[in-house]
Amino acid sequence: MSNGNFPFSKFSILVWRAIELSAILMLIYALAAPPPILVTLGPAQTVQTTNPKIGVHTRLTDEADEWKIQKTLAMVREMGAPWIVEYFPWGYIEFNEGQYDWAHADLVVDHAERQGLRVIARLGFVPLWARPRDSTPSYLDESRYQYFAEFVAQFVTHFKGRIEYVIIWNEPNVNFEWGYQGVRPEGYTKLLATVYPRAKQADPAIQILAGALAPTLAPPGSVDAMNDLEYLQKMYDAGAKDFFDLLAVHAYGWTSPADEPPAANRVNFRRTELLREIMIQNGDASKQVMITEGGWNDHPRWTKAVRPAERIAYTLHAYDLCRQWDWVEACAMWAFRYPFPTQTYSDYFTFVTPDFNPKPIYYEIQKYATGR
Amino acid sequence: MKFKNMRPDGKRPRSKVLSNLKPGTLPVVMMALIIIVGYALVNGLPKPPAKPDATWSRLSTTGVFRIGIDPSFPPFESEDGKGHLKGLDIALVDEMVQQWSRESLTTTVHAEYVYTGFDGLYDALRAGQFDAIVSALPYDAKRTEDVYFSHAYFDGGPYIVVREQDTITKTHADLEGKRIGIELGSTGDAFARRWQKRFQYDLREFNLPGEALRALKQGEVDAVFTDLIAFNEFARTNAGGKTVGTPLVHEYLVVAVRKDSPTLLAQINAVITAMKNDGRLERLYKQWLVEGE
Repeated sequence: MSNGNFPFSKFSILVWRAIELSAILMLIYALAAPPPILVTLGPAQTVQTTNPKIGVHTRLTDEADEWKIQKTLAMVREMGAPWIVEYFPWGYIEFNEGQYDWAHADLVVDHAERQGLRVIARLGFVPLWARPRDSTPSYLDESRYQYFAEFVAQFVTHFKGRIEYVIIWNEPNVNFEWGYQGVRPEGYTKLLATVYPRAKQADPAIQILAGALAPTLAPPGSVDAMNDLEYLQKMYDAGAKDFFDLLAVHAYGWTSPADEPPAANRVNFRRTELLREIMIQNGDASKQVMITEGGWNDHPRWTKAVRPAERIAYTLHAYDLCRQWDWVEACAMWAFRYPFPTQTYSDYFTFVTPDFNPKPIYYEIQKYATGR
Repeated sequence: MKFKNMRPDGKRPRSKVLSNLKPGTLPVVMMALIIIVGYALVNGLPKPPAKPDATWSRLSTTGVFRIGIDPSFPPFESEDGKGHLKGLDIALVDEMVQQWSRESLTTTVHAEYVYTGFDGLYDALRAGQFDAIVSALPYDAKRTEDVYFSHAYFDGGPYIVVREQDTITKTHADLEGKRIGIELGSTGDAFARRWQKRFQYDLREFNLPGEALRALKQGEVDAVFTDLIAFNEFARTNAGGKTVGTPLVHEYLVVAVRKDSPTLLAQINAVITAMKNDGRLERLYKQWLVEGE
């Protein structure tokens, strides 16, 4: 009907104009925003290295951007390291019981494979549903061991043929890493005994790494930690021998050179040899060792740090020692790169900054490993 | 009263300027004028003094300035084993408390040091265990969400060091194709590697900065990239070298305070600025970094 009046009020027109303007602005924004970075796996690469035991612990767990995952792993390859250790938290993958989200883990493994890297998977971090309220993610009650074993079985099944090594837990000789339950080698051994047969059932070729003990001189009876040498012997005493294929070792040098002789009362890189001796004493000489964390720190203020030049020299020497040790299969130093700065001394363990600037140690390892 | 050209409705006639304006323009102009005048008034008028923050108020009342420090970093801070602190940072704090005592407070201010491991300084500051961190603290842009940083009082970045008779080198670009001595793994090393291809540096690596500086003295390298601390330590017993230009990379040292302490921050900045202007800061450099005490 038209009686000469405009059919809409001025207010309605204003509203429509506002909607039109918003639509135009949104369109402009959409056109102006950079497109997401297209990441493709790219051609298969191989690692060129003079020392096939060189490795690094990467920190891709919290790295969300695929291009950053790819770039990190490409830089590992270009440095001449064929091995990476990476953390795959149970709680991230099986957030809800029985539901597995492999998306992020697949990204990491797919890119690592494409870069020619071999992945040693560290498993741990208890999901909320598998632990009591107000407990830490490192708390796992014995009654829940079979849940973790099931997760490990699912993990090795999913990555069958792509991941050959898994580390069961991290530094269980430290109370914090054992969920503040009180350090118990017997408890950890029982965990190994629960996980091992289930993992082998899922993938007979999988290699189970145990230990990953924190090197520590904790006094007897300490509530915080147990001496790693004592802990390993107690693992054997509890029957751990039949439930792992390789021993994971954390080999930090602190302020000592790589070749400083080992001693029970010293934490240094060659403390690895003392752990090896315990393996031999317990009839496990045929098993290999993998160093899955280790290295030196060059923070200018930290009391356990060394000067940058010393860090470089000691790290290269350590890689060389590993090459000589026929009982060591891989030597992965902590840590290649963090996704973001930790704002602590820990940033001075890395080889590459969060924004991908290689530190001099990166170039020196590259020179050592590739001759470039 | 009758106006010439009186409108038929009896109202006053509009001026020509107003008559020529498009409808709707006048309110916009008026609004703009109000905003401009209002802004000028608000910003032009003297403001009442801002209320001091709680930290500064407490400091003013009690005369205690609590400082977080890790006394393990000479020549900035170290302890003699008997509880006596010394170093550039201690001297800087002394200047602060003296200036505050002189100028703005009725009470005498003195410093109380709270020993804290370097990694724990930020957390302890936020937990209120002290008022400020004065501990050769490097500026960190990512921390600005959590704390306020003062003006820089020192730049610990590497400089170019050349022999005394070198009058050509002013910047790193003047060292094309030259032999550069660096401490392996240092910030100077990282800088040199970044520019190596562009300027064809012939890099010579040393384990310690002193070794690189000795090589400069002996003519084995043409320049060294190292920081002022290392250079001054070497220069105390070895003449013949000098720094040129500005730092190759900036590594500013600053004081940090909590975000609830803007007055304290302003007071610290005032002291640092005054010390820069009147030469006191330069004298502290000379005392602690050049002469060594």
